[in-house]
Amino acid sequence: MTNFPWLTTTILFPIAAALLIPFIPDKDGKTVRWYALIVGLIDFALIVYAFFVGYDLNTPGLQLVERYPWIPQMGLEWSVAADGLSMPLILLTGFITTLAVMAAWPVSLKPKLFYFLILIMYGGQIAVFAVQDMLLFFLVWELELIPVYLLLSIWGGKRRLYAATKFIIYTAGGSLFILVAALAMGFYGDTTTFDMSAIAGKNFPVNMQLLLYGAFLIAYAVKLPIFPLHTWLPDAHGEATAPVHMLLAGILLKMGGYALLRMNVGMLPDAHAVFAPVLIMLGVTNIIYAALTAYAQRNLKRKVAYSSISHMGFVLIGIASFTNIGTSGAVLQMVSHGLIGASLFFLVGATYDRTHTLMLDEMGGLGKKMKKTFAMWTTCSLASLALPGMSGFVAELMVFIGLATSDAYDFRFKVVMLILAAVGAILTPIYLLSMLREMLYGPENRELVTKQNLIDSEPREVFIVACMLVPIIGIGLYPKVLTQVYDATTDSLTALMRSSVPALVQQEAATPKPSNSMAALTAPEIGSRN
Amino acid sequence: MESLYQYSWLIPVLPLIGGAVIGTGLITVSEATNSQKRLSAGFIVSLMGTSMVLAIALLASQFQGHEAFTGTIEWVSAGNFNLSMGYTVDHLSSLMMVIVCTVAFLVMIYTDGYMSHDAGYVRFYTYLSLFGASMLGLVVSNNLVEIYIFWELVGMCSYLLVGYWYERKPAAEAAQKAFVVNRVGDFGLLLGILGLYWCTGSFEFGTIGERLQELVNGGSIAPALAAFLAVLVFLGPVAKSAQVPLHTWLPDAMEGPTPISALIHAATMVAAGVFLVARMYPVFDHIPTVMNIIAWTGAVTAFVGATIAPTQMDLKKSMAYSTMSQLGYMVMAMGIGAYSAGMFHLMTHAYFKAMLFLCCGSAIHGMEPVVGHDPVLSQDMRLMGGLRKFMPITAITFLIGVLAISGIPPFAGFWSKDEILGAAFQANPALWAVGWITAALTAFYMFRMYLMTFEGEFKGYDMAKRKELYQIAQDKEIVLLGSGAVKAEELEGEADRSATPHESPITMALPLIILAIPATLIGFVGMPWSNFFEAFVHAPGETATVAELAAEFDMNEFVLMAGSSVAIATVGIILAFMTYMWGKIDPAAIAAKYKTVYNLSLNKWYFDEIYDRIFVQGSRRIARQIMEVDYRVVDGAVNLTGIATLVSGEGLKYLENGRAQFYALIVFAAVLLFVIVFSIT
Repeated sequence: MTNFPWLTTTILFPIAAALLIPFIPDKDGKTVRWYALIVGLIDFALIVYAFFVGYDLNTPGLQLVERYPWIPQMGLEWSVAADGLSMPLILLTGFITTLAVMAAWPVSLKPKLFYFLILIMYGGQIAVFAVQDMLLFFLVWELELIPVYLLLSIWGGKRRLYAATKFIIYTAGGSLFILVAALAMGFYGDTTTFDMSAIAGKNFPVNMQLLLYGAFLIAYAVKLPIFPLHTWLPDAHGEATAPVHMLLAGILLKMGGYALLRMNVGMLPDAHAVFAPVLIMLGVTNIIYAALTAYAQRNLKRKVAYSSISHMGFVLIGIASFTNIGTSGAVLQMVSHGLIGASLFFLVGATYDRTHTLMLDEMGGLGKKMKKTFAMWTTCSLASLALPGMSGFVAELMVFIGLATSDAYDFRFKVVMLILAAVGAILTPIYLLSMLREMLYGPENRELVTKQNLIDSEPREVFIVACMLVPIIGIGLYPKVLTQVYDATTDSLTALMRSSVPALVQQEAATPKPSNSMAALTAPEIGSRN
Repeated sequence: MESLYQYSWLIPVLPLIGGAVIGTGLITVSEATNSQKRLSAGFIVSLMGTSMVLAIALLASQFQGHEAFTGTIEWVSAGNFNLSMGYTVDHLSSLMMVIVCTVAFLVMIYTDGYMSHDAGYVRFYTYLSLFGASMLGLVVSNNLVEIYIFWELVGMCSYLLVGYWYERKPAAEAAQKAFVVNRVGDFGLLLGILGLYWCTGSFEFGTIGERLQELVNGGSIAPALAAFLAVLVFLGPVAKSAQVPLHTWLPDAMEGPTPISALIHAATMVAAGVFLVARMYPVFDHIPTVMNIIAWTGAVTAFVGATIAPTQMDLKKSMAYSTMSQLGYMVMAMGIGAYSAGMFHLMTHAYFKAMLFLCCGSAIHGMEPVVGHDPVLSQDMRLMGGLRKFMPITAITFLIGVLAISGIPPFAGFWSKDEILGAAFQANPALWAVGWITAALTAFYMFRMYLMTFEGEFKGYDMAKRKELYQIAQDKEIVLLGSGAVKAEELEGEADRSATPHESPITMALPLIILAIPATLIGFVGMPWSNFFEAFVHAPGETATVAELAAEFDMNEFVLMAGSSVAIATVGIILAFMTYMWGKIDPAAIAAKYKTVYNLSLNKWYFDEIYDRIFVQGSRRIARQIMEVDYRVVDGAVNLTGIATLVSGEGLKYLENGRAQFYALIVFAAVLLFVIVFSIT
């Protein structure tokens, strides 16, 4: 069974299923949504089963490898595989997309096309995380944009065309850099290859590394997004419908973080050593800048969109920390935000369905009529502001510890960056709790109550949020559940990062164990002091 | 006995299960859960009761000299980094567990009466249970990260409970304020934890202390840095235990239902700061600067709280300032090295203050039939008076609490407060002087509260007064006439004299009576000549037995110290009687004479106004400006590029005229250009 092409199957199955949608006899879209849901569930089950039988947690390298020559003349291979970076994100993709299908239940405009696009995206997103060939990566990265563009421009809000165009120009513009960099890397040296592992093995001169790093950084900064290339996101989010939101926040943003780790760090470690302080500064900027903007926003969707940007800052800091715990925290933050962001955006959509407004000034006192929605909003907001016991806290804590214990930066830089990042921890509850207060607390908004029919959440909605809260709380209570999945990979990645910083290499040569001895960190004992 | 320790993790987990089960029920099958009120509450209360029994058994075992016990489980690991979570049962934690469990259990019983008519009865019990779990988790934590986790979780429960009546605007604002102000403290705590970990490589209290000491002595860390990190950690307790300058959330938090004011904002959560200082004692103890900062923070807080309380008219807010002031005593005790005295006061205060708050709740509950279910009226002392006739149990227990907090022997507060003042006198007479004056103020305002509420004439039927109070609240935008529980027309006309205040039901009265026992007697475990308390709970590294402590005891000194503090308290009490009972002093005249002082106290030293001006308005302004920048500059640049391409596109359009020959020409020209370029290079 291990030779079965699992990953290819999980990628092609939803796409093939999508191609059948036009032939389903369905007038009002009731059948097709069940069809899409079942396809989503089957594919998710396939993903889980594939990793269950074929993935060894203790091996850091690529697993479930499949290679088929595709266009040999161009050196293009269909090659997919998964390591600790891909695997949690592929799982997340399956999970969130399936839930997004369920969230799309009330969609009544062109349901066939809608589910067709969602299923295409399903396969495309798995492919982004699984492919191991640079050209192929560029292809799926680009292909993936088309369904998102259509989903935005057909089903969005009033300014959907503006938002969709902005999205496509931004990301397509960014991905040009990927193509150029990929070609340069592929053709460099004696052998022409686009295989990622082979490229990672090439020794690029430092100047070229810096150029390539810069090119990738621009492309992924658009996706993640990083200040100042973030402005497409509030627009796109401001116009998208709830299921598209969930996909955007839950998965699409993670493509940027994933690619940063895979390419910038994994292939260009020398350049990473140069760029890392910049990443930390950008990360801190993201956190504070977006948090303040979120605070000032009066539009619910845009507020939550900016909170996404703010949380992505932690990914950057973690990536640039040069510590195991920091890198691990960055990956955890991606998964955690995928879940939390998706649930918040789902709630925004669910609330909008009732209030038909997104302006906070026109809300108020919703909690009285919508008790379950109230509870879900509170829980998800608390998760987002990194309340302990939920995944966001663990991720942020790990990033904080990573930066604090990092031996790659000098003391002053670290202190300033830590303090600024921690300011984010004050700002986040301010805007999230203000949002809750203005939306749900207080006396009811008379006008809204008389105009709109404020019914509480239906079981489907509770179920969707509950599905996301289970892993959020599960990871929060016992993070090892997730961290052990990718530990081996992030550890080897961190070792690679550290090996390219001369100061760290010297230090490690001088002292066999890095900075603090291991024994001190395991199982602190209190003993009998009294 | 060992199995008891093996399963001691159940103590925090049982209430968690209770909260989780009922909470899930509320979300999924809310009607069914809400209809089974008593069943849900009974389930939660019995779980808390089980925890209480376990906690008492552990305390007994610890008291008999059982060794401390620690259980751990690996929580996060990444490469060479491992972080374990676990629980520790030692003297300090077993004592705290018993305090938390007993108070929580009694408050839960009381809640049944107090919240019986509330639509969110079951939700309230769920929150209470979750709070109990978090608080118990906090006290058994065995490292700083774990403490931080539960620290935030109790903050969350406090947020949910303060905002429990979410339709009330002040409640919503108070909940947010409580959370955010605490986050400011947690900001320091988090940075401090990270910094200490970076220096010492450990999250464990004792290890951090030892290593930090070594590093400072070895010269690898500047003493100033060590002090800075310790102060950062101390910011956590400053916020949680409502110390100046982060105290402003506590009085506002009184918007929550009274049972939680008793449990969270008086007995347990706010004392967590003192507990953390106790746990971090191995770190703080070696840094005199930090100890001084702690001591003075506590002293200033004790004084500020005691100066605000005498002018407050809201029964619960007045009580909140008294809590703040008493917490100041505890923190001061920690700062001067009187570890045991601070913990002792924490324990006695937990019992008598919980009782006092529950009495307040009982009085408010009794007032509601007369003035309606609106805190603006039902909590105002100007409408009370003479309640002793209607509710004798509440009045007597309240009086016991007042005597205890005023430091009148033999009530509990006397022994603990006297121990703190004695230690302060030896450490720094200036600190003692602050504490001594505060003791007078405490006795004065506590008796003021008792006299205004329970003695004299009942003033609840005074319609003019009611209307005036309502008008003030309206001007402050606290209530909107017509939207609250009291209707505008109800304030017109004559009061209904058939409605009288009533004594509370047995579920409420019983916890008061039970709590009156420790409030009276528990001080005897810490009498200086046979101090069982200090022999049991003392600073890490010190050892003491009852006999040794008794040998150190000096009767003359004790009489002098105790005599002076009882004397000053008596002065306060007499002044209170002269003002509010016998009418010899007119408070209004005093207020008019010392207007500045009166306004300073009435307006809570203007902390809220200053913070609002600087932080609230300031942050809003910055946020708005950043948003403008984002919209106009960052996004504007992008859109400008967009327009530029549009314009150039319009220009290029004229090259597209649809004739195939023209396109062929362009292609040919381009190919030619490429060939030329490549042949040259």
